[in-house]
Amino acid sequence: MHRRIMVVDDSRLVRVQLEDVLKGTEYEVAAYCRSGEDAIAQYATVQPDLVTMDIIMPGMDGLDAAEAILKNHPDARIVMISSLAYDETFARAKTIGAKGFVEKPFHQEQLLKVFAQALS
Amino acid sequence: MSAAMTKEGLAQILDQALQDVTERTAGVRLFQGDQPLGKDLCTVHITFDEGFDTSLTLCADTGLLVRMARNSFHEEVVTPEDLEEFSKEYLNVLCGKVAGAVFRATQVPVHFGAPMFYSGRYEPAGQAAQFILTYADEQNSEGAQLIHHVSCAHGDGAGPGES
Repeated sequence: MHRRIMVVDDSRLVRVQLEDVLKGTEYEVAAYCRSGEDAIAQYATVQPDLVTMDIIMPGMDGLDAAEAILKNHPDARIVMISSLAYDETFARAKTIGAKGFVEKPFHQEQLLKVFAQALS
Repeated sequence: MSAAMTKEGLAQILDQALQDVTERTAGVRLFQGDQPLGKDLCTVHITFDEGFDTSLTLCADTGLLVRMARNSFHEEVVTPEDLEEFSKEYLNVLCGKVAGAVFRATQVPVHFGAPMFYSGRYEPAGQAAQFILTYADEQNSEGAQLIHHVSCAHGDGAGPGES
């Protein structure tokens, strides 16, 4: 059975790359959201096993969106995927309760390792 | 910018980031060389925020960017909108990687604005090229230039590429 992933990213490039690296794995994309607001609205309906969350998006940023989702769904498993690989960003993601952080552009091996850790 | 990098240090980071991001996102390998650009060009430009007063410009043969967009989006036909979308996202990822590498080297966070796309060559007003990295593809048929611009007021020594 596939693990269902909700991808939150306004970048088409990242969405296509995620599709590519998840092909043939135990993961499938259950929903795409192009903004943090959309992710918050859709989370309860989609009920994904895992959320991948970009940080810089139009409107609400991914850290605020992750915080809002975790406030209402403390069991949500969220992995941040961003090019903003700063200590302060890692620290805030951890404080919020994100289960992992993947730097863009990502490798399949690295991504799947973080997903497995987040779901363990 | 007391912890700013040398020009050479920044050039090395830009070079590694460009080659890595291009291969991973578009499956195209670029090599530094002196390949002259053609006449059909596109430019994407991004500005570094918060007092850096510098910017990064990628000027490339349109054919190269179209090929990269086609590979990345898995589309046989690339529309002008696809080309613009790809070019902006590509530069965004590239700048993210550069910002991360600059931060690791200097502990100075680098923030950047939204990329802008132009048909043809674009020169940012009030800025001058501090250095230019020139690339060619494997067939040496198409190329690109990555240009680090600094404010004319600051001359050669501004921004993350302080020398």
